[in-house]
Amino acid sequence: MTRLSLERVSFWYPASDRPALCDVSLRVGRGEIVALVGNVGAGCSTLLCVAAGLAPRVTGGRLDGRVECAGPETAGGGRVLLLPAPWTQLSGMGVTVRDEVAFGPANLGWPLERIRVAGERAMARAGVADLADRDPLTLSGGELQRVMLAGVLTMEPALLLLDEPTAELDGDGAAALWAVAREEAGRGAAVLVATSDLDAVPDLASRVVWLADGAVRADGAPAAVFADDAIWREGPGGPAVADVWRAAGLAPPWPVSVTAAARAR
Amino acid sequence: MTPALSCERLSFAYGGRPVLRDVSCVVAPGERVALIGRNGAGKTTLTRLVAGLERAASGTVRVGDWDAGRHRPDELARRVAVVFQHADQQLFARTVREDVAFGPLALGVPGPEAGVRVAAALAELDLGSVASEHPYDLPPPVRKLAALAGALALAPSLLVLDEPTTGLDRALRARVARVIRARAAAGCAVLVVTHDVAFAVEVLDRALVLDGGAVVFDGAIAELCRDPTRLRTLGLREPPVAALSRALDLPGRPVRIDDAAPIVAACCASGGLPYIGESHGPT
Repeated sequence: MTRLSLERVSFWYPASDRPALCDVSLRVGRGEIVALVGNVGAGCSTLLCVAAGLAPRVTGGRLDGRVECAGPETAGGGRVLLLPAPWTQLSGMGVTVRDEVAFGPANLGWPLERIRVAGERAMARAGVADLADRDPLTLSGGELQRVMLAGVLTMEPALLLLDEPTAELDGDGAAALWAVAREEAGRGAAVLVATSDLDAVPDLASRVVWLADGAVRADGAPAAVFADDAIWREGPGGPAVADVWRAAGLAPPWPVSVTAAARAR
Repeated sequence: MTPALSCERLSFAYGGRPVLRDVSCVVAPGERVALIGRNGAGKTTLTRLVAGLERAASGTVRVGDWDAGRHRPDELARRVAVVFQHADQQLFARTVREDVAFGPLALGVPGPEAGVRVAAALAELDLGSVASEHPYDLPPPVRKLAALAGALALAPSLLVLDEPTTGLDRALRARVARVIRARAAAGCAVLVVTHDVAFAVEVLDRALVLDGGAVVFDGAIAELCRDPTRLRTLGLREPPVAALSRALDLPGRPVRIDDAAPIVAACCASGGLPYIGESHGPT
């Protein structure tokens, strides 16, 4: 079942002649994790803003094509976007982490008891339960990124959009975040994640979408997308394990993760 | 030779919360050192002490033969250049070129020489084509490189980079790697704060690991990467090439791509590793 569907979408920022997205068609289904990769400026963040309904509604600009987001209306069921710089996502309305995490569902008009239960659960899953009484403005970047994750989890989204979600996190924090993304897909959410952590992609995502200059250059299984030499020459490259095979002068397809390499042994 | 940086029994606390405990370390000119550790380990605080933005509760920080505690940050800027973690939000001039020129001009470098330094710094990072752009018309990762160019234009003897690769793609990371190698080869000590152990092991030689504000490892980064148990204890992710070497038991346990490649090629040629086909996708 499709949760997000973009059909021939092009998007122009205000006062720009050059489209930031160019004839993009993309579907993300229930329970699916799709990784969005590309060079800086390729349009990954813009695509997430379009999918979230923030562009052009908030950014201004012009959109061609169709964006559809479908989800069950009962359990949250909306679409949420986690921004790469967590302090830009702070509501500014919460004096404690607990309040900040409640901001989303409160605006959805949920009853207090439901907000409380969902908030406590989300904070525990994001690993910030011990920060519940802290002022969000006193947190480190890594702590804040996990608080923002708790904020989006509280709303039990049908479509979870993540933009460089591990930018502020250490090794343990990044591993925990990817685990949460998998759990979300496991309960039926569709997950679209823009990331430059290409080593994490093959074990995380079933599909990789490579964006270049606002257009989809490739859309397929990680092993197939990273087997194209063009993504290494012109694009964001790929996982280090594949890079070893490539540097060894061996013909593609290459193993894209340690798991894949070990299985072939 | 005077070290580029030496910390002696350094301790620091924010309010009552201790952040650094009895930290001692020495970085020689031309060394490439990774400062790693989990969120909250004290890495960024150490960079602030080195830049003179904080004063140690006890112990000393020396930059060359200067006691950082006795110099103002603007004096220290003659020797130390720091690119902070969110440097992409720190630019303020109307063009990239003006922003890069701010540091040398503020240090009193004469206009023509400052111009030469700015052009060189922009060229080192391939930023010539965006020199006349407004920084905020550029994507944040490119702004981050512009901030790095500003640091290079100071001609520092110690370059401190806090999370320089966050959000950078392959091509931009390669530019940062090239600059780190070139500056170190010219005698500048480079200290890189990072969670990106995969980048660190490719580009840097030595690792200084902080945990709970104390130095818990100081040695070759390759050695650290070959010790998965220790990495796990420190909350660090095992870099992929090290994990690959361990999983396949590659001879010599290489941890860098260019070291692993000939070994993998030899193993494949001798039949030790079979051809890896399309069936080996994600789990």
